[in-house]
Amino acid sequence: MATYQEFIQQNEDRDGVRFSWNLWPSSRLEATRLVVPVSCLFTPLKERPDLPPVQYEPVLCSRANCKAVLNPLCQVDFRAKIWACNFCFQRNPFPPSYAGISEVNQPAELMPQFSTIEYIVQRGPTPPLIFLYVVDTCLEEEDLQALKESLQMSLSLLPPNALVGLITFGRMVQVHELSCEGIAKSYVFRGTKDLSSKQIQEMLGLTKAAASGQQGVFVFITRFLQPVHRVDMNLTDLLGELQRDPWPVPQGKRPLRSTGVALSVAVGLLEGTFPNTGARVMLFIGGPPTQGPGMVVGDELKTPIRSWHDIQKDNARHLKKATKYYEAMANRSAVNGHCIDIYACALDQTGLLEMKCLSNLTGGHIVMGDSFNTSLFKQTFQRVFSKDYNGDFRMAFGGVLEVKTSREVKVCGTIGPLSFTGIHHNAQWKVCGINPSTTLALYFEVVNQHNAPVPQGGRGVIQFVTQYQHSNTQRRIRVTTIARNWADAQSQIQHIESSFDQEASAVLMARLGVFRAESEEGPDVLRWLDRQLIRLCQKFGQFNKDDPTSFKLSESLSLYPQFMFHLRRSPFLQVFNNSPDESSYYRHHFVRQDLTQSLIMIQPILYSYSFHGPPEPVLLDSSSILPDRILLMDTFFQLVIYHGETIAQWRKAGYQEMAEYENFKQLLLAPLDDAQEILQTRFPMPRYIDTEHGGSQARFLLSKVNPSQTHNNLYAWGQVLRGAPILTDDVSLQVFMDHLKKLAVSSSA
Amino acid sequence: VTSQIKLCVCVCVCYLGNQERGWNDPPQFSYGLQTARGPHRNLLNKRAAPGILTTYASPPSPPSPPSPPSPPSPPSPPSPPSPPSPPSPPSPPSPPSPPSPPSTPSPLSPPPDYLHGVWWVQVEGIWTHQTHFGNVDMMVVCVTFDLCVQDQVCSDVAKRLRLLEDSWRSGRLSLPVRRRMDTLSLALQSGQWDSADEIHRSLMVDHVTEVSQWMVGVKRLIAETRKLNPELLEPLQKPADPDQNGSVS
Repeated sequence: MATYQEFIQQNEDRDGVRFSWNLWPSSRLEATRLVVPVSCLFTPLKERPDLPPVQYEPVLCSRANCKAVLNPLCQVDFRAKIWACNFCFQRNPFPPSYAGISEVNQPAELMPQFSTIEYIVQRGPTPPLIFLYVVDTCLEEEDLQALKESLQMSLSLLPPNALVGLITFGRMVQVHELSCEGIAKSYVFRGTKDLSSKQIQEMLGLTKAAASGQQGVFVFITRFLQPVHRVDMNLTDLLGELQRDPWPVPQGKRPLRSTGVALSVAVGLLEGTFPNTGARVMLFIGGPPTQGPGMVVGDELKTPIRSWHDIQKDNARHLKKATKYYEAMANRSAVNGHCIDIYACALDQTGLLEMKCLSNLTGGHIVMGDSFNTSLFKQTFQRVFSKDYNGDFRMAFGGVLEVKTSREVKVCGTIGPLSFTGIHHNAQWKVCGINPSTTLALYFEVVNQHNAPVPQGGRGVIQFVTQYQHSNTQRRIRVTTIARNWADAQSQIQHIESSFDQEASAVLMARLGVFRAESEEGPDVLRWLDRQLIRLCQKFGQFNKDDPTSFKLSESLSLYPQFMFHLRRSPFLQVFNNSPDESSYYRHHFVRQDLTQSLIMIQPILYSYSFHGPPEPVLLDSSSILPDRILLMDTFFQLVIYHGETIAQWRKAGYQEMAEYENFKQLLLAPLDDAQEILQTRFPMPRYIDTEHGGSQARFLLSKVNPSQTHNNLYAWGQVLRGAPILTDDVSLQVFMDHLKKLAVSSSA
Repeated sequence: VTSQIKLCVCVCVCYLGNQERGWNDPPQFSYGLQTARGPHRNLLNKRAAPGILTTYASPPSPPSPPSPPSPPSPPSPPSPPSPPSPPSPPSPPSPPSPPSPPSTPSPLSPPPDYLHGVWWVQVEGIWTHQTHFGNVDMMVVCVTFDLCVQDQVCSDVAKRLRLLEDSWRSGRLSLPVRRRMDTLSLALQSGQWDSADEIHRSLMVDHVTEVSQWMVGVKRLIAETRKLNPELLEPLQKPADPDQNGSVS
């Protein structure tokens, strides 16, 4: 439907919102019958170079339990200078500064093109940003050296007024004083004993902040957190002199790593000194926590770190306790508005499964690599400090999201890097670490009773209010107000169907699937996903009962089953072949990316390069693998360049070096050139895989493509072999679709 | 004056990743490449239309009962590869040119590996330490108004600049680093603080191993010098003139 496509795109461009349904069913019962819930993907800080912020406070509804922000959907009486709140219908007078408004002289926030608008507010002194480095010293020499250099480099990337602190740990935990002169001092904690926040603050000599009642009076500077511009030289030296953890590691043992206590000290330090300020704890680890609270595995190497098999057999000794420990810490951090990043570089697992909540609940990053001495880590880390078109840091802090809905609708859940902080007059969440690509999923419930009259010409309205601290320390408020029409599902089901956004719905259902996968057994999630897909096909498919061959889906749903097919095979729902840490890592990124990137993760993009024409997108199917083609696949986490058999032979023979075969040289370079932008901007930086027919790394491509030709069906239909057969027992998309059709049309389902 | 000194950071350098330590390590891009703000090309963002795979209209014909499969013929050895057909195969789209790097300052002759000399000069209550590195002046300006803090800063910065001198003199610095330091000091001399800062950052990102010991001193030098009263700096500055050989003003 061309019109809905445009509508959907315009709304995304302007408001950063994509809804599963753009016409809403008017009753709860009908909403549940639609299978896919009314839900949306929302990017609160979507980059809007065309939207300059306004320099005044938003006008709020005066009703105490409403406080909605003035928006284009409000009725306004310009003569009497009164506006009516569209949520509670309260009539509010405009503030005195609005005395001059009229129909021809409207403030920006009333104009429809400013359905998304940003306010810069002055709310007292602006606190500096805080970066607290927590560094594991149980690393190999080469890794430690590379990490030290990256940290030194980052001091040049930090804003000069930012506060910076350093905690190092191994068997013990050391909090470093960053004074400008004299001998370097540090406070040492035992890595085995957990301390309460209060104890930590006492031991560090931090008297309770003499903070006056006024919010944000930051007279309290601690010697552990100092401005970069003052301590950069000392800290550079200090970092340069860091040594490996001195405690010897006996044969057959792991180093004693007290990650739990180190984080506890970090969180306690920030809690005691800068609560409710934008702060970033950056944890750098080269292995799992092996002692103290939050330990994930013991120090005996012969006891391997838990695998999925161990977990399924309930054989993971430390899992529950460690997860609980880190969850409590994550919640404390979130309450204070502090986010926690984890940079884990090691060849074996490091405990991301247990620690992921630290980042997932606070909006921090998780970066996973093999070694700190790799370009993947170094460049990904640099990109934490990337800047936008204005030269400001993309990272933002202290996000608080409030969602206001008209009374027929309410929020029933969210999935994303946020944590729920309770209901005031609105539903409220904290997104402590937030950036322009952070995308949240919100799920709504229609609360109208069945057969209640459809509000005539009425629309459901949702307002998203995101307060945050910009990286230039300004406090800002971004307000997005959207509306969608109600429709009676009985008489207007076709209109509702044409308003379906299959891309958004695929991602929204996928996030639900991941959410379930983290709390339920694997096969149950797949069954649930399949059931939803079958129900959706039963509801919206056109078919004759019990006749699978008659089954048809309209255009607005035609891609949806394919997304579900690829989702079922994806590492987000299939843990086979991934460690628990890897699964946690993939899921962490999946539930925070925007729609385009999320779709790439579900169904990778495949481009073909050949002499037959310009580069073109091709089906993610084994039939696309041909000897005279180069394929470029983007899975988000990997960029795979696969050279077909003939291309590989030519390359091996060295034709690209010969002057008369310049065109072949260009062909070989073309995919890399096209991939440049992705490689240079994506966070995290993807792995780069150069492989060819028969190469071991070709498995990255072969495992993703639809196996329409396998060793099983190769000779079944007497077809001409096209493309490479895949050695797998996975069902192909065709078989999947056949089964789906059969189940959808069956009268006994 | 400002147009004379342009940023030389759009160096399009791309190193291989570290294949020993990390499998499938991606290539390493220079700071300039990563921060260049060209328009988004957004190339790899389309999917092939699913077409036949998901048309539900035409049913596939039911398979005939499978005949016993004939044993697959033994794979024939790959035929010797024939070269790609010469008659103009369509060339792949030429890689779009990267945003054109701002013109570099007219080439400075590479600094000779010796020092002209080092001396201290007191000019109107300000100590300056002028060092020649080949053709280029490097200045350290220490403010002596506020003795307590600034004295320490002064000596800390000087200590690091001496390290820089040592490294330079003993040939431990690579050519790209030396070139960029030339540009940085020219930027400093003509008061282009932001440019100088940006160059220091690009060096920290691209060559951290070589520069990390002393670069923070240069960073501080830039930060402190830009805060000074411009009048105090006048006698020491020279306008940007790339043809000029370094000389004491």
